[in-house]
Amino acid sequence: MIVVRGGTDKPVSSQKLANYFETRTDIEGYLYLGYPIIGTIEGGYQIDALLLSDRHGAVIFHLIEGAYNEEIEIADIQDENYTKLESKLKQHKDLTKGKNLAVQLNVATFASAWTGRSDINSEHPILVCENDLADFLETKNWDDNQTYQKLVSVIQSITTIRNRNKRGYVKKSDSKGAKLKKLEESIANLDRQQSTAVIETVDGVQRIRGLAGSGKTIVLALKVAYLHSKNPDWRIAVTFNSRSLKNQFKHFITLFTLEHKNEEPDWDRIDIIHAWGSPSIRGIYYEICLKHNIEYFDFKTAELMAKSYGKGFDVACEKAHTEIKEFQQYYDVVLVDEAQDFSPYFLRLCYGILKQPKRLVYAYDELQNISNKQMPSPEELFGLDASGKPFVSLQNTQGKPKQDIVLDVCYRNSKPILATAHALGFGIYREKGLIQMFDQHQLWEDVGYKVKDGKLADGEPVTLTRDEKSSPEFLEKHSPIDDLIIFESFNSDAEQIAYLISEIEKNIKEDELKLDDIMVIHPEPYTAKRAVGVIREELFKKGINSNLAGVTTTPDEFFKDNAVVFTQIYRAKGNEASMVYIINAQECFDAFNVAQKRNMLFTALTRSKAWVRVLGYGQNMQALKQEFENVKYNKFELKFTYPTAEERKKLNIVNRDMTEQERKKLQKKSESANDLLQSLMIGEIHKEDLSEELRAKLKELL
Amino acid sequence: MPSSVIIFKQIEKITAKLIEIGLSAEQNFPSNQSGRIAYSGMQDVSIAMKNIAYEEIYKKLEETKNYNIKMLDGALIQMLYSFEDNKLISHRLAFFPAPTLESFQNEPELYENDEIYADILGRNIVTFPIRFDYDPDNFEEIKHPKTHATLGQYKNCRIPVSEPLTPEIFIIFLLRNFYNPAFRKHTQKFIISSQRFAKTITNQEKSLLHLGIY
Repeated sequence: MIVVRGGTDKPVSSQKLANYFETRTDIEGYLYLGYPIIGTIEGGYQIDALLLSDRHGAVIFHLIEGAYNEEIEIADIQDENYTKLESKLKQHKDLTKGKNLAVQLNVATFASAWTGRSDINSEHPILVCENDLADFLETKNWDDNQTYQKLVSVIQSITTIRNRNKRGYVKKSDSKGAKLKKLEESIANLDRQQSTAVIETVDGVQRIRGLAGSGKTIVLALKVAYLHSKNPDWRIAVTFNSRSLKNQFKHFITLFTLEHKNEEPDWDRIDIIHAWGSPSIRGIYYEICLKHNIEYFDFKTAELMAKSYGKGFDVACEKAHTEIKEFQQYYDVVLVDEAQDFSPYFLRLCYGILKQPKRLVYAYDELQNISNKQMPSPEELFGLDASGKPFVSLQNTQGKPKQDIVLDVCYRNSKPILATAHALGFGIYREKGLIQMFDQHQLWEDVGYKVKDGKLADGEPVTLTRDEKSSPEFLEKHSPIDDLIIFESFNSDAEQIAYLISEIEKNIKEDELKLDDIMVIHPEPYTAKRAVGVIREELFKKGINSNLAGVTTTPDEFFKDNAVVFTQIYRAKGNEASMVYIINAQECFDAFNVAQKRNMLFTALTRSKAWVRVLGYGQNMQALKQEFENVKYNKFELKFTYPTAEERKKLNIVNRDMTEQERKKLQKKSESANDLLQSLMIGEIHKEDLSEELRAKLKELL
Repeated sequence: MPSSVIIFKQIEKITAKLIEIGLSAEQNFPSNQSGRIAYSGMQDVSIAMKNIAYEEIYKKLEETKNYNIKMLDGALIQMLYSFEDNKLISHRLAFFPAPTLESFQNEPELYENDEIYADILGRNIVTFPIRFDYDPDNFEEIKHPKTHATLGQYKNCRIPVSEPLTPEIFIIFLLRNFYNPAFRKHTQKFIISSQRFAKTITNQEKSLLHLGIY
């Protein structure tokens, strides 16, 4: 029996009920606490607890916390519970038989403090102890496994994420458009892990992580709707880094709240709010500055204070965090999406403005990039209190809501694409050896790999594979592997461009793809615009419109345009498309900063929801293609010897992520070292010309 | 005198050029419906938006994709011409820069790393829309010159202009003044053909401070 713990205002009886069912390991099924909420004409109707079992059907538990009270109209309450849930379930055709519900549905009151008042066999049963529960269940037998499975999926799906019928135009039955149509229909519902993540409510900090494409944003939006419906008085904030998420959140939260409450969310209580903000855009940080009367830094001024590029916000948050002696606490819940983009100080600010018991939910992409910048542990994130104890440490304890949730199913990338992205990103089958590797072995399993052979340990050979569970088959079954991923090597740029243009034309004219199904990614941010100009112009002349993902264009699935998107790699982050073209991929094969380049390739590959084409020209492209052939030959499994800590350290130094500036600096330095060497060798400088001290230091370091 | 076909072709060509040099982030295909030259999806909202704040106007135009070209920095460019019997009867050429520089702040790499866009980022910029109208129907000497320029949303701002503008002249004016580094880099790609409209400015208007090509 799996217990899913939502928020509840009846903690004692909920706990007792949960305790009992946790011991009943013989029953297959789920016990939901504080869930579901049913939208009715009078608003959201709350069910205290719901049992789903293949042997006993569905049982609603009405919970009573206190001592006996004759004013409680048990019969009325039970009947209402019954009719509300019945009418909700009846909306699903799969759950009806004729005019009736095909699910065995029962309702009982569980009042653990009503000793002596149990009445199991009444029309409106009252249960007070564990024996009552057992006896009651004995009398409710059900045997309809098929309907049970459907019942579970209806309750778990939480909502019906309706697919706007955007592929009504599809005519051929086996075109790429038709395949996408099927694919989009399959991903519509939530899985068990996701629905657990939505419902489980922690009085404290909760972490949700998973690969990109594991549905975090939807989970967070549903969570907001669920918490808001349950606790209409709470002030809830959901915050993020990319502004394009705002519309998505708004759309989903409205949709889900409507479903739970039958009314619009109360926007005075829910803030969908940018992390930074400014006088013209609401933001968590900006409002903290106002409320605490501390100096606000905008992008420019913050960036000036930062030591390295892109760290402005971190510095601003750190400054704010140090300056605030006592936090004003004005939110009941704060949900942070894309937490990987923030420094610990931003999370600490969010933590600061929360009322007790500090309900902070933060979600992040494990492996947004594969460089060694992994998210710090919660202990590091939130720091230590005066006595040296961490403010936050996460544990999943039996009998408590889960504080740490991993969404390990990736619904965006199929196994071949994801495994290729990892293999090339880490250089698993690279001739010159690995490029980078996780320090924590555990991460491989967290992101959905299984050990097929060998061992995940330093110095040990290992074979990792993704299984049907973490990479659902339907994501790849629609097309043969040789169509899912194509690496194409050309002799020249001109050939590459000609191929790209003719393929895009074909996608639109024959494959029944829409323009906005297609994304073209250029791996080099600095030259992307110039490189794609000619291609876009050519397409424009052929009547195919295209957009440049730029400062002002935000990736937003609700306002998609009728245009192919061209983007440089950093802008592609957080975006996805069904058909992804990566051009000039030869630049990613080998370079001075190969790790960075391979990270780009990883990000680019993982943008694809269905197909990916990797194009490039010249020798390096041929070599990259060969590397991919090796991935394919190894059946998209990762076979390698895990580098030892020392080897990893070396990899990290050689292949560390460097900014353009750092790279230039390093190049210059190594040139001048070379100069020195030359001069010494030809006797232009004598070693005695260098000071004793310098020589000693050099000797020591080298 | 440039015909509607020539004007249409110019818009087509200059849009392609802006795409090629990477200045156009989004664009609509130009359209020509018996002399009314606009862009696909055009929706005239100019009157409905008469009394609305500039931020709102910009937002509306952007959302509804009411433009020929959306520049990399968010500025919107509209080029609308009307011909009757192949004679120009009106034009509205407009430049709507993005009213907030917010997005640059959020995603600045592009502007920081690519000198072409260096001067768009200046923090002391006040953005305002610019319009060139050819509207002979409402002509009143000096008060309402046939061709005039309007800066900002100032109600009675009608700076006399010597003649209706071709798309080339208009776009090159914008590039030279608002996208200067890009323009300098690609000057040779933007050549103004000799096709021009006839002068419409009066002698009295000429005696005032005005814009003109001579």
